[in-house]
Formats: sequence, C-alpha cells, structure tokens
Amino acid sequence: MSTVTMSETGAAEEGHAPASPVLPSKGPTRRSWRTLAAIARYYPVFLIFVVWEALSRLNVLDPMFMPPLENVARTFYNEVFVTHELLDHIRMSFMRAGAGLALASVVGVSAGILMGRVRAFESFLDPVISALFPMPKLAVFPLLMVFLGIGDASKIALIFMGCFFPIVINTYTGVRNVDKFFVWNALTKGASQRQLVWHVIIPAALPFVFAGLRVATSTAFLLIVASELIAANDGLGYLIMFAERSFDPALMWCGILVIAGMGFTVDRLLLTLGARLFVWQDK
Amino acid sequence: MNTVQKTSPVHVDVRRISQRFRSGRGADLLALDRVDLQAQRGEFVSIVGPSGCGKSTLLYIVAGLLQASEGEVVVDGRPIDGPAPDRGLVLQNSSIFPWRTVEQNVAFGPEMCGMPQQERRKLVDHYLDMVGLAKFASFYPRELSGGMKQRIAIAQMLACGPSLCLMDEPFGALDSLSREVLQDQLLQLWERDRKTVLFVTHSIDEAVLLSDRIVVMSPLPGRVKEIVDVDLPRPRQNTRALPEFGRLRNRIWSAIRQESMEAIG
Repeated sequence: MSTVTMSETGAAEEGHAPASPVLPSKGPTRRSWRTLAAIARYYPVFLIFVVWEALSRLNVLDPMFMPPLENVARTFYNEVFVTHELLDHIRMSFMRAGAGLALASVVGVSAGILMGRVRAFESFLDPVISALFPMPKLAVFPLLMVFLGIGDASKIALIFMGCFFPIVINTYTGVRNVDKFFVWNALTKGASQRQLVWHVIIPAALPFVFAGLRVATSTAFLLIVASELIAANDGLGYLIMFAERSFDPALMWCGILVIAGMGFTVDRLLLTLGARLFVWQDK
Repeated sequence: MNTVQKTSPVHVDVRRISQRFRSGRGADLLALDRVDLQAQRGEFVSIVGPSGCGKSTLLYIVAGLLQASEGEVVVDGRPIDGPAPDRGLVLQNSSIFPWRTVEQNVAFGPEMCGMPQQERRKLVDHYLDMVGLAKFASFYPRELSGGMKQRIAIAQMLACGPSLCLMDEPFGALDSLSREVLQDQLLQLWERDRKTVLFVTHSIDEAVLLSDRIVVMSPLPGRVKEIVDVDLPRPRQNTRALPEFGRLRNRIWSAIRQESMEAIG
C-alpha cells in the first residue's frame, strides 16, 4: 500500500542519531549506590548536626536554647513511638495544609485557565489579583478567626488565600504563553474549544502550573505553622509554642526539625513528580 | 496548456480578499489588497513573494484561522467558516505537540474526531510508515531533528484525511540538504494522492520544482503580481538540472526582484 517510503533517504538526511530515551536498567547494586550518593550530597546538613552535638557536649551552647541533639532525638523517639503525640500533631498540620492547598489548587487552576481564555474573566480578576497578591495574608487571620472561629476553618481559609495567588498567577501566565501555532495546529485538526483546552492548553501550561504549585506548597507550610502558633490546640505550630511555654527546648527543636523535614520531603516529591511529568520538555 | 485542469472543478476560490491590520500607532496597514486566486482540484499551487507580501496571512485566511476584512474564500462551492480538518495545515516552525510522542502526535486529529483506538492505531502506523518514521513512534519531538519534526507535521496533517493541504514554508527552517530531501519526498507523496496543495514559500527554486502554478505576490499592500504556469514534466526527477527550470526561475526572480530589493532595504 505505502509504496512511497521516506525512510531510506530520510535516515541519511538527519545529522544525528537521536539519543535513546530509556536508560538501560542496571542491577540493584547500581541503584543502591545511586541512593547512597544522593544521601551523601546532603553531607553539609549532617556536618551541622555533628558540630551542634559537639558544641553541646563542650558546653559551648546554652542547653536552654540549644539542647544536645541527642536529647532532641530522644524526645522525638518518645513522642513518636511511646506517646504517639507527635504523629497526631503532624496529622493535624498536614490535614489543614493539605485541605487549604487542595482547595487553592482546584480554584486557582480553574480561575487561571478561565482568565487566560475568557476576556471577561481576565478583565474582572486581573485588577483584583494585582491588588490582593502583595498583601500579607497573615494580616487577615484575626478577621478570619472572627468569622470562622479558631478551629480548622479559619486556618484552612488562610492557607487557601496564601496558596491561591501563586497558583492562579502561574496558571494564567502559562495559559497566556501557549504558542499560537499549537492552538492553530489543533484547530485545523478538528479540535473543539473544549478539546483545545484539555489537549493543548492544559498540557502546554502545565509546567507553569507546577511551578506555581511548588511555591504554594512552601507558602502552605509557612502559614500552617504561623496560624497554629497564634491559636490552636494541636498541630506542629502549637507543639512548638507549647514547648516554649513549658521550657522544653528539646521538644521545641523536635517540632522545628520535623517541619523542616516535612517541607523538604514534600518539595523533593514534587520535584520528582515534575521530572516524570515533563520528560517531554527540552532541558 | 493544462486543459485537463482548466475543465476540472475549482476546489479553492479566493475572492477579492483584503486584510487590514491595525498597527501599533493606530494606523491601518493593508496586508492584502483584493487578492483573487483559484486552485483546481489536485493542483499544486505555490505562493511566492518577498517577506511582508501577506502570503502567510492569505494562507491562514484560507485555513479559517484569520477573518478577512473583506472578500470570501469558497472551498468546494461553500464559503468557509472557521478552521476544519478538511483543510490541513503544516506550519514552518514545528507546531507538533512536544508533550505527545510521535505516534500520539499523528493520532491527534483522528482522536479529536472520535475515531476508535483500534482504527487510529492502524492509521497512525500507515502514515508513520509513509514518512519513514515508524521506528520513532514512541519518541518525543525533542529527540528528533528538524527535518523529522516536519515529516511528523505532514503525517499529522495527512492522518486527518484533508482534501486541501495548506503549507506555510514547511521547509523554511531546515538546512539546505534536508530541504532538498524533503522536497523530493513531498513530490512523491503528492504524485501518489494528488491532493490540492497551497504552498507558501520564499524559495523560488522550491516553488518551481513543486508547483503546477506559481502565484507571485508583491508587498505593501500584498497583491497578486503575476501567475506563472509551470509546464515542467512530471514526475519531477532531476528537474533541477533542466534548462527550463532555470528559465522559469529567472522569470519569477525578475518579477519580484525590485520589491525584494526594497523589502531588504
């Protein structure tokens, strides 16, 4: 049927052989080595821990501010495996931050797409966003507590407000930056407006959306701790505040390090997810 | 000459198309001025002219992507209203979707039209075979060369089964070697199916090699300056070496030399 074949002449025409996209998978030893190397990259962090422990032992550090790392680790063990209290605090903080972030993602991405595609939405939302974006969201927290109480609702609302802006702005920028020729190509291939959004606009804008999501995640961590420091009965922010009031620096450091670890882990997960999602991108 | 084509029905009829753009300072710019153009069914028509003559604009109007300020485009006896998969388009800079693999790119049009997966698969295999890229089905465009990307764009268009192919400088961004190879391959493809083609290019050689007719345009405002029949024998093998090729080439060059000089400044 296909008498005309471009392959023979075509192969000579291309200057370079394209690189194979699939890496050959070597045995498990290769993988564990790579994991070790990845951990070793963070040696400065471990170094700081070692210096901390050493200085504590030498009585250079005031134990009321910086207890030995060993005490912090002991407290951590106790809180996780004996009383399980820390796990509850982590769960509460994660739930609030997750709810606010999820809400902000859904609303932010939808609003961003609408702004990028519908002139009326753009002219309405653009000035609103420009005016509200630079405002520190924490300033509204007392007001939110008046309306929504000091429970979960006001905290989730605060996190929503903080996360909404980076997501909506990035999505909007991504949608506006979609190459006109991609859109034209899709339209001449029979795509409806709806198909255009799903199959062209969203995938093309996704790297932008993802960048916004990363910023929003760090904002969510910031606001959850801040709001729990101000008023809460549980959560990691509350734990740190509680530890401060009960003169328990080891517990305080435990809370601080757990939050740092959580932020780091979530960011790494997002980066890994991004690398998977955007294999098609030119680096 | 071309009596067969003269009697066959008109496929594309561009009727007194004018296009005005509002430029930055509010002054109107007349990009196209009452352009008339006809293509018979199965005819290969090239549009050449110096940059700024509105040849790409004209093509986008025929594709239904731009609304002409005046005039109408009639395809198959009906005035067009927006883009349709029946009028396929290949653009200069690779407009294939980087987030789709090669086969997903070729399958795009059929997928949008709701073709079942099984059928789609067969169709994609057929067209990938045709452009000689079956081996690269699961690759992403970033892993391919410019020439390969343009072949994917052609396969993507053909998979929609268009009766009219609109090509906007499809080989314009390629190096001259790739360009000649793709020109020959396009000729072979066209001689097999004989679809109607409107081909925009600024390469006179390319226009003479491929076309039945060449529409020569002049810039500011874009107007049809001359229409040249190309009566070189088909299939066009070793056509570049024919004395007739050079004669036609010179004739078109002299027609737009003045404007080209002015366009460059």
